[in-house]
Amino acid sequence: MNTEKNTDRNAVRNTEPAWLLVTRREVVSRITDKSFLIGTLLMVVMIVGFLGFTAWQDEKTETATLGATPDAVAMATAIADNASQVDDRLEVEVVELADDTAAETALRDDEVDAWLHPGDDGWQLTSESSEQESLTDAAQVVVRQQVLADNAAGAGTTVDALEAGSSVSTNFLRGDAEKAAVAEVVGFAFVFLFYFAALIFGMQLASSVIEEKQSRIVEIIAAAIPLRHLLAGKVLGNTALAVIQLLVYLVVGLVGMSFTSYKSYLPALSGPTAWFIGFFLAGFVALACLWAVAGSLASRTEDLQATSTPLTMLMLVMFFGGLSLDGRAQVIASFIPPVSAVVMPKRILAGGVEWWEPLVALGLLAAFAAVTVWVGEKLYRRALLQTGGRVSLRQAWSAAE
Amino acid sequence: MLEIRELTRRFGDTTAVDHVSFEVPAGQMTGFVGANGAGKTTTMRMVMGVLGINGGEVLWRGSPITRLDRRTFGYMPEERGLYPKQPILDQLVYVAQLKGMGRVEARTQVQELLERFGLGERTKDHLEKLSLGNQQRVQIIASVLPKPAALVLDEPFSGLDPVAVDSMVDLLREYTRDGIPVLFSSHQLDLVERLCDRLVVLANGRRVAAGTVAELRDAGVPRFRLVLGGDAGWVRDQAGLDVLDLDGTTALVEVATDGAEQQLVAEATRRGAVHEFVRVRPALSEIYREATA
Repeated sequence: MNTEKNTDRNAVRNTEPAWLLVTRREVVSRITDKSFLIGTLLMVVMIVGFLGFTAWQDEKTETATLGATPDAVAMATAIADNASQVDDRLEVEVVELADDTAAETALRDDEVDAWLHPGDDGWQLTSESSEQESLTDAAQVVVRQQVLADNAAGAGTTVDALEAGSSVSTNFLRGDAEKAAVAEVVGFAFVFLFYFAALIFGMQLASSVIEEKQSRIVEIIAAAIPLRHLLAGKVLGNTALAVIQLLVYLVVGLVGMSFTSYKSYLPALSGPTAWFIGFFLAGFVALACLWAVAGSLASRTEDLQATSTPLTMLMLVMFFGGLSLDGRAQVIASFIPPVSAVVMPKRILAGGVEWWEPLVALGLLAAFAAVTVWVGEKLYRRALLQTGGRVSLRQAWSAAE
Repeated sequence: MLEIRELTRRFGDTTAVDHVSFEVPAGQMTGFVGANGAGKTTTMRMVMGVLGINGGEVLWRGSPITRLDRRTFGYMPEERGLYPKQPILDQLVYVAQLKGMGRVEARTQVQELLERFGLGERTKDHLEKLSLGNQQRVQIIASVLPKPAALVLDEPFSGLDPVAVDSMVDLLREYTRDGIPVLFSSHQLDLVERLCDRLVVLANGRRVAAGTVAELRDAGVPRFRLVLGGDAGWVRDQAGLDVLDLDGTTALVEVATDGAEQQLVAEATRRGAVHEFVRVRPALSEIYREATA
C-alpha cells in the first residue's frame, strides 16, 4: 500500500463512490433480514402496548359509596357533587341510612365504603380501614369548604374574602410532580433506546466485520477499494438503520402519547427529543467505530465475546449511569462522552439546564466521536487483514500495513 | 507482464517470504507450488496489496503497481467465501460494482457467467445453500469480474470435482489466449504439470526453482536409459558415466562428462543389439521433491 499515488477518482467508471455501495449493501441486507424486521415490529408492539395500558389506567375511575344518616345527607350530597373537583377519577354515590346502628351494619357488610356523621366537633368519617384515601381526601376538602362557607356567612363575610391573598395553588404542585414523573419515564425510554440500539447494532456490526474477515471476502474488497471506505460504509449503513429505527419508535411513542391524558406534555417533549436524536447520532457513530474494531480484532465469531468485553462493560456503565446518576454526579456525567449521550438528554428533560450546556456536551461528544473514528479506522485497517487468532490492541496499533 | 522482485515479508522474527523474484508473463499460466507454509499465500497477498511489503517490489507492465492496477486484477483468496447469507447474483453484482463496474453492466456479465457455470437457475439462492463445488464456481466468477487484466488465484482447484476443474481450466485458457497473465498456486502437481506454461517452486520462503516445465525437466544432469539385447554389466566400466541402476539388460546412467553418452551408444552397438536408448526426464514431482528437500 505504499504506492497509493493515484487517487481513485481516475479509475472509477462508476459514478457511485465505494462507501455508498457498502452503505447500501449494509442497509439492504439488514432490512430484508426477517429477524431485524420482527425485532423492530415487536418493539413497536411493546411501545403501543405500554401506552395503551397507560391510557386505560387513565380512564379507570373509582366509585365509592358513602353512607349517611338523615342529618348528614346534605353534607354527603355536597361531597358527591364536588368530589370530581378534588379527584377527577373519583365518583361518590350517597346511600341514605336510617340511623347509626344501620350505618354500622352497612359498613360491616360492605354495603357502603364509609359512613359520614356529625361528630362532637365537626364531622366524622368512619370506614373499615384506611383504604378509602381518595374518598377521605375528597370528604375533608369538601367538608372544609362547606363549613368554611357556613361559618363565613355566619360572620357576615364570604370564603373568598377570608381567603383573599392566601391562595396556594395545589394544582401547580400536583402538575409539577406529574411532569417530573413524565420526565422520569421518558428519560428511562431515552436511556433504554440508546442502550438497546448501541448494543444490538453494535453486535451486528462487529459480527458482520468478522464474517467478512473470516470468509476472506475482505481480501477481495481490500484489493478493490480502500478499507476506510469499507469501514465508513458499514458505520454509515448501521447508523442510518439505527436512526431510522429510533425515529420509528419515537414517532410511534409520541403519536401514541397524544391519545393519553399526557398529551399536554407533548409540546414540552419536542425540544428534548430533538436533542436526544442529536446525542444519539453522535454517540452511536462513536461507538459504532469501536464495535467495528472489536470485530476486526477477532478472527472467528467465537472471539467476539472476548474482544467486545470492554465495550459491553461500557454499555452497561452508560445504561446504569444514565438511569441512576443524580445531583452533581449527573451534571458532571452529562458532559463526559460517551455517557453524556444518555445523561444530557435526561437532564434536558428534567429541566433546569442552561442553554449552553447541551451544546457543550454535544460538541464534546462529537469530538469524542471524531477521535474514535480516527483511532478506529487505524486499528480496524491494521487488524482486519491479520489472520490467525485474536489480535491485541497493541498488536493492531503497531502492526505494519 | 507481472514481475515480482526481491519480495520480502517478515512476521516478527520469521521471514515468511525471503527475496523472492519471478515473472508472470502475459498470456501464460504460471503455477506456484510449494509445501504448506512455503510462503505462496503471503506472496500472493503482497502482490494484491492486502498485506504490507517489507522489501522488494511488484511491477506491473514495467512500473510499480498501484492500487488502481490491482483493482483491475482478479483475485481469489486462500480460504474463500463470500457472504453466506446473500443471494449469489446480488453479491457478485456488489463485488463487480466495488471493482468499478456499473450496476446494469455488472448484472449482465454476472448473469452470463452464472449461466456458463450452470448456475443460471440459482441466482436468488443464498451462497450457503449451494454445494461446495458450486460455491467454488461462484468464487471463481467473483474473481474474474470484471474482465481482469491479470489473475492471481490462491488454490483455485482445491475442492473441485474433475468436471469443474475442466470448466475452470477452459475459462483460464480463454483469459491466457487474450494475453492475460495468470498466477495460481496449487498442491496438485499433476494438474500444474498439465496446465502450466511456467512454474515457480517455493520452499521455506525462498524461490528454489523457476522456469518453463521443459526447462525445469531439462535442467540438471542428463539421464539416459539403455536397453540391450544382452547383459548390460559392462556399462559399469564405461568412463564418464555414473550408473544409477543396473538390472539385467537395462541400465540407467547419469552423464558426468559431456559426450560420454555418445561413446556409450557406440560401444553398445558394437557389442550387439540396442533395443532402446532414451533420455529420461524427471517427473515434475521428482523435481519438486528435490528442490524442496
